[in-house]
Amino acid sequence: MRKKETASQKAIQQQVAWAAPVLGLVLLLLLPVFARYNDYVLQVFTHALLLATLALAWNILGVSGSISLGHAAFFGAGAYTSALLSLDLGVSPWATIPLGGVLAAGIAAIMGLFCLRLRGAYFALATLAFVEIPKVITDNWDGLTRGSLGLVGLPGLPSLRLGSYHFDMSGSLVGSYYFVLGYGLVLLVLVTLLFRSNLGLALQAIREEEVAAEAIGIQVQKYRLLSLLLSAFFTGITGACYGHLIRYLEPGLVYGLHFSAIPMIFAICGGRFTILGPALAALVLYPVDQFIFHPLLPAGHEFLYGAVIILAILFMPSGVWGQLRKGHFVSIKTGSIE
Amino acid sequence: MSLLKLEALSKKFGDHWALKEIDFSIDEGEIVGLVGPNGAGKTTLFNLITCRHRATSGRILFANKETTLCKPHEIQKLGISRTFQSSRPFAKMSTLDNVVVGRVFGGEFHLFAQSTDIDSAKQLLELVGLAHKEQTPAGDLTLSEQRRLDLARALATQPRLLLLDEVVAGFSPVAVKQAVDLVRRVRQRGVTLFIIDHFLSLSLRVSDRLLALDHGEKVAEGRPQEVMRNREVIRAYLGMRHEDEPHGA
Repeated sequence: MRKKETASQKAIQQQVAWAAPVLGLVLLLLLPVFARYNDYVLQVFTHALLLATLALAWNILGVSGSISLGHAAFFGAGAYTSALLSLDLGVSPWATIPLGGVLAAGIAAIMGLFCLRLRGAYFALATLAFVEIPKVITDNWDGLTRGSLGLVGLPGLPSLRLGSYHFDMSGSLVGSYYFVLGYGLVLLVLVTLLFRSNLGLALQAIREEEVAAEAIGIQVQKYRLLSLLLSAFFTGITGACYGHLIRYLEPGLVYGLHFSAIPMIFAICGGRFTILGPALAALVLYPVDQFIFHPLLPAGHEFLYGAVIILAILFMPSGVWGQLRKGHFVSIKTGSIE
Repeated sequence: MSLLKLEALSKKFGDHWALKEIDFSIDEGEIVGLVGPNGAGKTTLFNLITCRHRATSGRILFANKETTLCKPHEIQKLGISRTFQSSRPFAKMSTLDNVVVGRVFGGEFHLFAQSTDIDSAKQLLELVGLAHKEQTPAGDLTLSEQRRLDLARALATQPRLLLLDEVVAGFSPVAVKQAVDLVRRVRQRGVTLFIIDHFLSLSLRVSDRLLALDHGEKVAEGRPQEVMRNREVIRAYLGMRHEDEPHGA
């Protein structure tokens, strides 16, 4: 059993729980100022933010206890939908990015039909296999997707006009950075509301004890499907943003194992029973990977992710942020930031 | 008027009859004990009433409505809740949240928990003596605390009929006495109780009636003292002494 904490330890935990995210947010808002002359730093952090949104979206399903290894299906579908609609039909990315999310949710509905009756490792393996379906379709439907040639020349992230002020988010790295940061903050607010709502309570209850959840009147499969659809929708939006950010796509890239595994790695290392943990892990681990391990080991730098996930599973099964917030996972009552 | 009515209820697992032709009914406001040795079919009967398992034959009527083929969450909506033989807390959620979630899904659904939901959850924690642990993760509670949390969570769904599965197994005599008081207080709230109690330590003290099962068959029903004098019940619990002795008892 856990040792009783002293009041001062608890107070410190509370302070960490508040101070760390606030400090992090200020740093993120001012980052372009610090890094104005360094495109590389901006690029890395833009990508880290995008991965943070991917981890947040993944954890909408993760909080219900289902480990997905198939989120690349939604990421790729979102990226391709938005890219093709904007490239071939000239629709504004403001419209095509959410449509990418909608198609991703549609694919999730099909995936749910087959996979949601499974649990644990069986669910994870079925989702891993499922990714091949949209990937093979995208790879071979040359007339629509241009197949394995991929897509180039995607329009950049959309611009924002506020009155006479024109905020260009595609032309400059700074603009792209703030676009992704803005999306990340919106998603964070939505995920916080969701996890704190009764829907979030239901998902956690299902994760902890499915039989008991059913006995108190929770329709388990309905809520599992709903969390999968929401998770896929936002993963699709993240995928669409990714396409407009790097401005080229190919099936092997966006449907690759990378985008399935990386949100899981961030969620487990950061703390999949918390709201912020997965996003924080992305914002720390990806820059560490890029700035430190990539120059040292250009070919094998991703061993970092393998190492941290093994360490997390062995020593911190509830993740680093979960450990710091121990005993204070998402709760409707405490009112603290998780 | 009977709240729960079982008509010739049977359940077969493979070739084995776990329950055979059980006829029984419980009136509103009663406390009924369900007794019998291991493997008698007590938990199976609970699983049939709560529709976790489907009856092989026979009917279940709750408040004059047939519920034999309902789904588990539908049964809860009609007003039947249960606790589990080995308690099943939502371990990583706070003790309070465990009860709030019962309240929220037992009642009318709102997207966000209302302050009334939280207040009534706190009252229930008070009732079962866990008010001081409301922020503790449920997985950190002791066995007896987890059983009481199970009870509070089941009560939070506002049931008309509450099924308690071995709530006092492994309890100290003091804890059993507290459980007796608790069960009486639950009845005062207007809840009908059906209690599985293998060792009879709770049901003999609180039950209005007992239903005794052995090998899936009803061997006796009636007032506790009568049932405990019943030859079949004694035989089921203690063996076949009467028959073994050549000159009778």
